[in-house]
Amino acid sequence: MGEKKIIAIYGKGGIGKSSTASNVAAACADEGYKVMIIGCDPKSDSSITLLGGKRIPTILDLMRQKIEIKEEDIVFEGYGGVQCVEVGGPEPGIGCAGRGIIVAIQKLSKISKSMDDMDLIIYDVPGDIVCGGFVAPIRKGLVTEAYILTSGEYMPLYAANNICKGLAKINTPLSGIICNSRTVTREEDIVGKFSEEIGSNMIAFIPKMQIVQDCERDGFSVLEKAPDSEIAEVYRGLARAIMSNNSTVMPKALADERLRELTR
Amino acid sequence: MAEKHISIIHPRPSSIVAALYTLRDLNVDVAILHGPPGCSFKHARLLEEDGIHVLTTALDENGFVFGGREELSSLLQKTNEMFNPKLIGVVGTCASMIIGEELREPIQDADLDVPVIGVEVHAGYPNNTKGVLIALESAEDIGIIDGEELERQRHLLTEATNVEKRHGAASKEYLVPSRGDVKYKVAGRIIELLKDGKKGVTIMNAKKETGYMFADISVAVNEVAKKLGKEENIVNMANVDDSLGLPRVRDHAKNIMAGFEKNGTIIHENIGGMDEYPVTGELVTGIIKEKYADYDFAVITGVPHAIPMDSFSGMEVISVTNGPRQVHPLKDMGHKYVVVEIDLHPKTLGVNEIVESEFGATIRELAKDMLD
Repeated sequence: MGEKKIIAIYGKGGIGKSSTASNVAAACADEGYKVMIIGCDPKSDSSITLLGGKRIPTILDLMRQKIEIKEEDIVFEGYGGVQCVEVGGPEPGIGCAGRGIIVAIQKLSKISKSMDDMDLIIYDVPGDIVCGGFVAPIRKGLVTEAYILTSGEYMPLYAANNICKGLAKINTPLSGIICNSRTVTREEDIVGKFSEEIGSNMIAFIPKMQIVQDCERDGFSVLEKAPDSEIAEVYRGLARAIMSNNSTVMPKALADERLRELTR
Repeated sequence: MAEKHISIIHPRPSSIVAALYTLRDLNVDVAILHGPPGCSFKHARLLEEDGIHVLTTALDENGFVFGGREELSSLLQKTNEMFNPKLIGVVGTCASMIIGEELREPIQDADLDVPVIGVEVHAGYPNNTKGVLIALESAEDIGIIDGEELERQRHLLTEATNVEKRHGAASKEYLVPSRGDVKYKVAGRIIELLKDGKKGVTIMNAKKETGYMFADISVAVNEVAKKLGKEENIVNMANVDDSLGLPRVRDHAKNIMAGFEKNGTIIHENIGGMDEYPVTGELVTGIIKEKYADYDFAVITGVPHAIPMDSFSGMEVISVTNGPRQVHPLKDMGHKYVVVEIDLHPKTLGVNEIVESEFGATIRELAKDMLD
């Protein structure tokens, strides 16, 4: 197996980052890779579909109780042996979630031995990078590759474009664009074009399928609950694309005008 | 006119500390820092010497992430039990303010019968007087001071900031700290001037409690003049009006005036309250022009850079400051000698009478050698 991959998937809030991350994690695990998923959203729902709908204690939950944390307290095995971790966060509107992410991932790197054995680590980061803490995984040199998830709608593309600016600023390369379809007109075309113009490429087009939602509602990934579905095959394709991807670029963000033209 | 903007790179007093000192002047019994355990430690210690209790919510890494609402409200309750205070102050810090902590809610949660002044302040203001202002506004909010006093203080703070910008610690991008002129030499010069029958004015223009030590220099000069039988050659001015300012500041004026009387130092001109050091300049200039224009020298202590140089045309100016960064600006103004009373402030906390200054002691010792 090749070098260890540590990736983060960025994109507008609500665009499907957690769904994609958990399905990719499951697909990679099916392929025999050792995978860890680290949920960095205070909502702590990145790994829920890998754990049959169960929530796990978060790193910050335990830190709050001031107990000495061991790896087995925060790293849980989910579907296909995927190692699941949730950072957690303070109550909404109180304290500092950004600082929480920084402290929690420091703690995790310090106590987790299994991280070293992984083939793929996925940081599932919140969509809105509202402060420094939310880019801490990247800033602290933990993440080596970034992917951006978007649909063909204007707002998600606008967010994607902004993330490109951000990545260039913090000197993190982009490994590709993933289109999570919302079934809008000429979507594949638009996202393909956008990817090309920023200097990257679209590595997967995930069609909108009700079955993803249905599985999620039951607390599962499609890989686990509907392995023979068409969409499961799409995630397998994406998983292979990520694991074999060697091309990264420093993205060039588009001017807002060009972005509007693209989506018109 | 657009204000000249400079980015000052030497370390300066903090707005959080300024808020703490203001709470002390408002006579709080306990001040609580809502933030990390070591924040403002040195000044918190000094304020304990000055008779108030200072506590901290000691926010740690967890506190930064989860907030400290409960820590603050329970510390308020504990404070009430331990110290039985009549007035409490709570001061924000950089850490607690950045994570969006709110002081009003935990103060309400604590539900005390004692008034609590909540001061939402951090240290990120270019002028530390902002900390004083926020503290005073918060005090007015709960009726500890009235609107009139707040306006008076607002004016003084603006002037204090202007004084620093003109000739003080905020006048240059970087000021080199200096120990000033050798005290022995400057003391010798003053004695010589007195011996030669020169006429001089002493001006104590001190900021609040620092007057406890600056006053000693006026006293020492007068003692030497008396020794030489030249008392009438000296005129003394001091900002010791005890009818102005916050309660504690009025007490300082009373105590220092009593000290002058005890030592037989006559204050010919009372130039204002002990918080009026930034605005005494014009008055002093007027008095000198009118009555003492022909005097030969001036000894200015406290905040000497607040008194414009045109008051002293033809005079030899000797100044005493407690700020090592004030030496070069004072020399630039044209002061011939600048003496630094190092670490003056700590020695003026927790006292209620005039305390000996190094420069005053030097003058006295040297006078013994030169005159006896």
